[in-house]
Amino acid sequence: MKLLHTKLPEFIKKMQVAAATKGSTPKEINIMGLENLRSAKMQSLRTGRIEHAVGEIAALDNVERLELIMIPRVPETMQTVIVKGIDKEGVCQKAVLEIINVLHPTEEAYLLDCDPENVEDRRPAIGNH
Amino acid sequence: MAQLKYRMIPEGMLNGKLIPLNIVLIDYKDVKECGLEPKEAFEAVAKTIDGPAGLNIIDLDAVTTTSDGIVVEGTIIRMAASDRGRINKDFGYLEMIPLNYTDEDVKREPHLKVWREKYPDRTLYMGPDYKKKIIPVHNVVITGRASNNNSATEMMNIVTMEEILLPILGQLEILRGGKVLLGYTGEVISVGIGMVVAEEYGRIVPKRQYRCGDTAHGSGEYAKTLKKHIPIICAEKPVLAKYIIQALECGLVPGRDIGGSPAVLTVAKYLHKDIDFDNITDRAYEELASIGFTKEWMHSEFPLLTPEEIIARADELIPGCEDYEIYDSKDLVQVKYAEC
Repeated sequence: MKLLHTKLPEFIKKMQVAAATKGSTPKEINIMGLENLRSAKMQSLRTGRIEHAVGEIAALDNVERLELIMIPRVPETMQTVIVKGIDKEGVCQKAVLEIINVLHPTEEAYLLDCDPENVEDRRPAIGNH
Repeated sequence: MAQLKYRMIPEGMLNGKLIPLNIVLIDYKDVKECGLEPKEAFEAVAKTIDGPAGLNIIDLDAVTTTSDGIVVEGTIIRMAASDRGRINKDFGYLEMIPLNYTDEDVKREPHLKVWREKYPDRTLYMGPDYKKKIIPVHNVVITGRASNNNSATEMMNIVTMEEILLPILGQLEILRGGKVLLGYTGEVISVGIGMVVAEEYGRIVPKRQYRCGDTAHGSGEYAKTLKKHIPIICAEKPVLAKYIIQALECGLVPGRDIGGSPAVLTVAKYLHKDIDFDNITDRAYEELASIGFTKEWMHSEFPLLTPEEIIARADELIPGCEDYEIYDSKDLVQVKYAEC
């Protein structure tokens, strides 16, 4: 077994395919939280597990559409901010690096409409694969 | 079944000010009387609250420090955040640690001289152990929409993005049934909270990042805007005056041993106490000057007042807070009970 990484567009496509094919009817999936990512390598084993979860939920007869929301695992993220000044030729003339710490809501904020009994937490402990 | 008493300021409008989430204060004595561990107490109370909540357990017998290094009686020893009755298992709960400081530690954090002299038998708490907590920078707990930050002195609803400041003395007054101010933080406190002291386990800024006399904000004339429009619940000014006077009478010098916040500087001026003008950095002076605490003000003559006169006239003399009213804390909080 190799610990591979999946390309971002491929990740998105896998989720859309699972939502469209695993139920008795094709279902749409709204993917949120990836909007800022232009290029990324996604953990392949986790991609497979998430794809499986999407398929499981898509297969439920009482589900009409799906949402996939990606939020930070640790709800305070330390971000580097790159401020760039670009000239007429499109060349960066000056840049400043800064940092900002961002506080995010945790998963409970996205599950307000879901009975806690219906939430299955399959996440490993923090720090584990 | 035993019942755990707690005090709550509910989410919503309170006398014209927005309370962004449910604010819960629990007396550690009540937790012990119920035979609960602090985390169990939080869980019992959280179950009774459907919306987002910040929850603190307070030990009135221990001591802590304000951001400008004033030692006060009582402290927050545990903090939590809950939403829909639950506490996030990884990020919803945090413990402050008792500090077994040696004389050498107190030399490095000289504002603690007050603790040694006035409260030698009381346990000192500040923030959590930064080496153990999972959240990287802030001393914060988060569950869902609720965030309880800066070692439980600033609470937020991260979805509405509204916030409230809860300085330690105000929380202690609520537990004691005293009076509190409800208003807006304003420019003076926005600057004042930047005049910190160096603390290894500081409730807001650990690792002795900023020396006394400097500003943790370093924002020039913008520092006064930092929390200006944010609601605040804090202690009456005579309470603040009493603790500042105690620190000054222990021989602590503003700008060197305790932070040169506007409140501390004002009391020092009326008591004719020394201020270490040379140790205050230019960038701290710039922030202070932006709200009228110029070098000219600092070097001007003030009438000598007694501690009793300062405490009696504290509302008039000590700056801080805007558009505020003084309330009996019993009129702002609800006393509730959780089954445990």
